[in-house]
Formats: sequence, C-alpha cells, structure tokens
Amino acid sequence: MNSIQTENLAISYEDKLVVESLDIQIPKGKITTIIGPNGCGKSTVLKALGRLLKPKGGIVYLNGDDIRRLTTKEVAQKMAILPQSPQAPAGLTVGELVAYGRFPHQRSLGRLSSEDKRIIQWALEVTKLTEHETTAVDKLSGGQRQRVWIAMALAQQTELILLDEPTTYLDLAYQLELLELLHHLNRQQGCTIAMVLHDLNLAARFADYMVAISDGEIICHGGPEKVMTTEVLRKTFNIEAKITTESSTGRPTCIFYDLIKQQVIA
Amino acid sequence: MMMTAQQQINEAYKRKIARRNTGIMIGCGALLIISFIISMNTGYAKLSPLDTLRTLFGGGTAKENLILFDFRLPRIVISILVGMGLALSGCILQDISKNPLADPGLLGINAGAGLMVILYVMFFGAKSFMSVLTLPFLSLTGAGTAAIIVYTLTYKKGDGIAPMRLILAGVAVQAGISALTTLLVAKLDETQFSFVATWQAGSIWGSNWKFVMALLPWLLLLIPYVLSKSHLLDILNLEDGIAYSLGASVEQERRKLLAAAVGLAASCVAVSGSISFVGLIAPHLARRLVGPKHRILLPTCAMVGAVMVSTADTIARVVVQPSELPVGIIVAIIGAPYFLYLMKIKSRQQ
Repeated sequence: MNSIQTENLAISYEDKLVVESLDIQIPKGKITTIIGPNGCGKSTVLKALGRLLKPKGGIVYLNGDDIRRLTTKEVAQKMAILPQSPQAPAGLTVGELVAYGRFPHQRSLGRLSSEDKRIIQWALEVTKLTEHETTAVDKLSGGQRQRVWIAMALAQQTELILLDEPTTYLDLAYQLELLELLHHLNRQQGCTIAMVLHDLNLAARFADYMVAISDGEIICHGGPEKVMTTEVLRKTFNIEAKITTESSTGRPTCIFYDLIKQQVIA
Repeated sequence: MMMTAQQQINEAYKRKIARRNTGIMIGCGALLIISFIISMNTGYAKLSPLDTLRTLFGGGTAKENLILFDFRLPRIVISILVGMGLALSGCILQDISKNPLADPGLLGINAGAGLMVILYVMFFGAKSFMSVLTLPFLSLTGAGTAAIIVYTLTYKKGDGIAPMRLILAGVAVQAGISALTTLLVAKLDETQFSFVATWQAGSIWGSNWKFVMALLPWLLLLIPYVLSKSHLLDILNLEDGIAYSLGASVEQERRKLLAAAVGLAASCVAVSGSISFVGLIAPHLARRLVGPKHRILLPTCAMVGAVMVSTADTIARVVVQPSELPVGIIVAIIGAPYFLYLMKIKSRQQ
C-alpha cells in the first residue's frame, strides 16, 4: 500500500525539464529517504509530491486519489510538507506557530477548540518544547527551531509528513535527535515519513525504504541493503564507496569514498 | 485536562500577554479620544473646551454649530477614517509582499489614484466636483489599473507572485506614473495647479460630510472583510511552501487581499490626497506593540493609523496659523525620524 505514488511525473523548473518521467512510491507507514547529488531534482520531486510545484505532466496519487481532484485543504489534512529551513515571522511564539498546524481543521475565524488545544499541547510535549511554548521562535537555537516546525506539522495531524533536508545546519547531536524523533513518531503514531537527506549514513540508518535519484531519474529503490551499495552509489554520485554493515545498527554504512578516477585513453 | 506545572506557567504567561494586549488596545483608544477632543478645540476660531462640549450636546450658537459640525467634525472623522484605511492597507501589503517596506505609495497605488484625479481636474476643472461620491471610483480606477499593471508584471506562471518582484515592479510603475503626472501638472492652469499641489501633498482638503459619506461605505465594506481574514493573514505571513502545506489557497487569497488593500488605499487617497508614511509606519508600530498575530495586530494597526493622522491634522492646523500645512507633510516630518530610529534598532538586533 502506497501513501503517495506517481505516474509519468514530469517537472520543469524555470523552463528547464528537470524530471521527464518518474514513477516513485512512498510506502505507507514507513520511513522513506531520498538521496541524490546536488541539483539531481530530489527537492523538486519532493515539492511536486507535496503539490508546492505544479507538475508539467503526469499524476500524483495521494492514497490512490488524484491529488488535483482534492482541494488544497483536503490535502493539508492528509499531508504536511516542510520546506528546507523555513523562517518564522519575528516575535511569533512557539505555541502560536504550532497552533497554525490546526489551520486545515479550523473554520475561517481560527478559534481553537479544546480538542485543538489538546493536540497542540501533545505536539509540544513529544517535541520537548513545552517549556518554550511562550518563547519567540527566532530566539531559539537551530535545533529547537527545527523541532518547532516538526511540532507544527504534528499538530496538523496528517498521516504523511514530507521533509526537505530537515537536518540542514544542525550539528551532529541535533541531527540524530531530530531523526530519532521522526523515527519515534513513525513507530508510535504510524506516521508515514518521506524525507530528502544529504547524509548517506543517516539516510541508510533511519530508512525502511530508500530512493536514489540522479538526473531526475530513479537509479535504485528498495531497502537500505539494496540501495546503499558501491554499485548504486557509483551510478548516483559518481563516487567509489566502501560499504560495510555497521554492527550496532545492522545497517549498511559508507566508511570511505573517493572520486572515480578518469579513465585515461591511451 | 490535567495540566503540568510547566503548562500552568505557560497558561499564566499567555493570560498576562492577552491582558497586556487588551491594555494596549484600550490605551490606543484613549489616545484616539484625547486626540479627538484636542482636535475639536483647535483651530483658527477659538472655542473653549466648555463651549465645545456645550455645542456638541446641542446648546451651541449658530456660529459655534457651524464651526464644530460643518468644519471641524467632518475633518476629524475623515482623518480618523483615512488613518485606519491607510494603516490597514499598508499592513496587508507588507504581509502579502513579505516586505516590511511595502506601503500603498510604493506599489503605485497612490500614484495611480493621483493620476486619475489630475486627469479629471484637467478635463473637468478643479471646481467641478459636483458629486464627491465619484471621487473614490475615480481614484479606485487609477489605483486599480496601477495595481493590475504591477500584478501582471509580477505574476509568473508556476511561480506566482514573488514578493521581491512585486516590490520592484511597484517601484517601476510608480516612477512611470509619477513621470506622467509631472508632465501633466506642467500643463495645468493656476487654479488647477494649486488644487493638485495641495492634493498631492496630502491634505484633508475641503472636508465636509459629503466626503465622509463618500469614504465611509468603502471602509464599512472592506474593514470587516479584512478583519475576517486575520487568521488567514497569519498563515500567509509564513513562507509560501508552509502556507500551501497548511492548506491555504495562497495565490487566490493573496489576490483578494491585494484587491482589498488597493480598495482601502484608493478610497482614502481619493478624499485625503496621498498621505505617505502612515501605511508604512503604523503597521511597524503596531507590530512592536502587540506582535505579529493579526487578530490583535489589525485593530491595533487601525487605531495607531487613526491616532497618527488625526494628531498630524491637528498639528497641521496650528503650526502656521492662520493658514495651514498639508497633513501629509506633518506625518512625514514625524514619521521619517521614527522610521530611521526603527531601522537603527533593527540593525543593532541583528
């Protein structure tokens, strides 16, 4: 069962065709990570899945429904998407921002019901932000700020969350903390999660399902053991990687990589 | 729901902020009333506060009645309404362009409205405003045309309205219209010219109840509409990607709100001339006072704008008695230093 599925997806960006024909699946209830080199179109694909970009052609199915047939509010009740390192308006508090997550479920005047308030408190709690509820978002550290956006997405109570490089600008401990949080949400709440990640080892460690993209095409997809291989990474990133299985996680890990030597023609 | 200690602290803090915001609103209201009273007592003809009060409650002489009800009151009411309209328009424009420097003047709205008024004066003469009610329509046509030009220049298929392009296109269109206006002004005769010059500087000229009646319906229509969009404005204030993710029809709503902002500014500019700076500064001041949530920001912004213009108008009437200065100049004289001060604080914070 797929949460999202595309059919011949074609995406152009400023008159340039970035993706020609893509069939990608985001399996329900799993964590999917998308990897690929800079400019390969992975963020573009994520945006198109999240209807932030209008595809040039093809169809995106959300739970089997053509996404174009759903109103944007209906989509927002099923899917949240977090762009890369978003900014909050100056002076807005954590609690206020997280409350915006209730927008797709509210009437136009935006009064919070007690149910809304309960969900907001829950979202603050799981992201460990309760003590910062009344702090301005722009006063927080990078790691905390990223958690605020996740809390907002949680308050939206969607079954699917798409994230574009959620670990950018975070130091190592914060990166892990954030991914642990997403992992926890996936296992506890059954949230489907799909994210673009830059760090290959983290991508392999937290994924149930991986997609490697290069030049707008899927090079390989499947479990981490299938995708995180020397062969696939060579095709995707143009690198020569050494992969072993990390004993504590049992996941494939890249321990060394090098540029592929140019073949010299004699 | 059981609350943890931390949640109780948070709730208490939120109540405190809510109380403080209510206090600020009441404070703004009080300021407005004070400025109203002072304004009633100020002017070329001396009326003591007691005379004013007596006249207000129906005990005035014919002369007092004339001064108060036919000269001063409509003028004060206009200044309050114009202040509200321009401040709200500025606030919305800053939100949807995500540019803190946006104001009706910058987007060619004032200039477009001004051009139409000048064209009208050229063809029908300065004394020909038989029906004041046509003035807002005239100005709205001009402002609307300017806004549509700016919008078309900015709109890019698939990418919508990028805030930066909106401002750039606005500045360009505004400059173009201003050039055209200057050209036309050179062709005006003396009475037409003095009328246009006063109007451009922003003065609540010849205010009488007709002008109030010309402006009021527009504001009664647009202000409640804008206030009903408070929650949506909060969402639009976020990045476009997030706003879409939350299920807002960003492009569509932005277009509607742009139209409302143009309508507000144009109807105000029609009766007051282009009073600059209110649309720019009132939202900044209000945001500093009550923060970025629109349910409280918009009403505060409207009050701040009303206080600004009505106070400026009172000052405009006293400083060079017996003649008077255009109110727009007073607002600019007070507004410009404040704005520089704001920028200095901002740069220090970063």
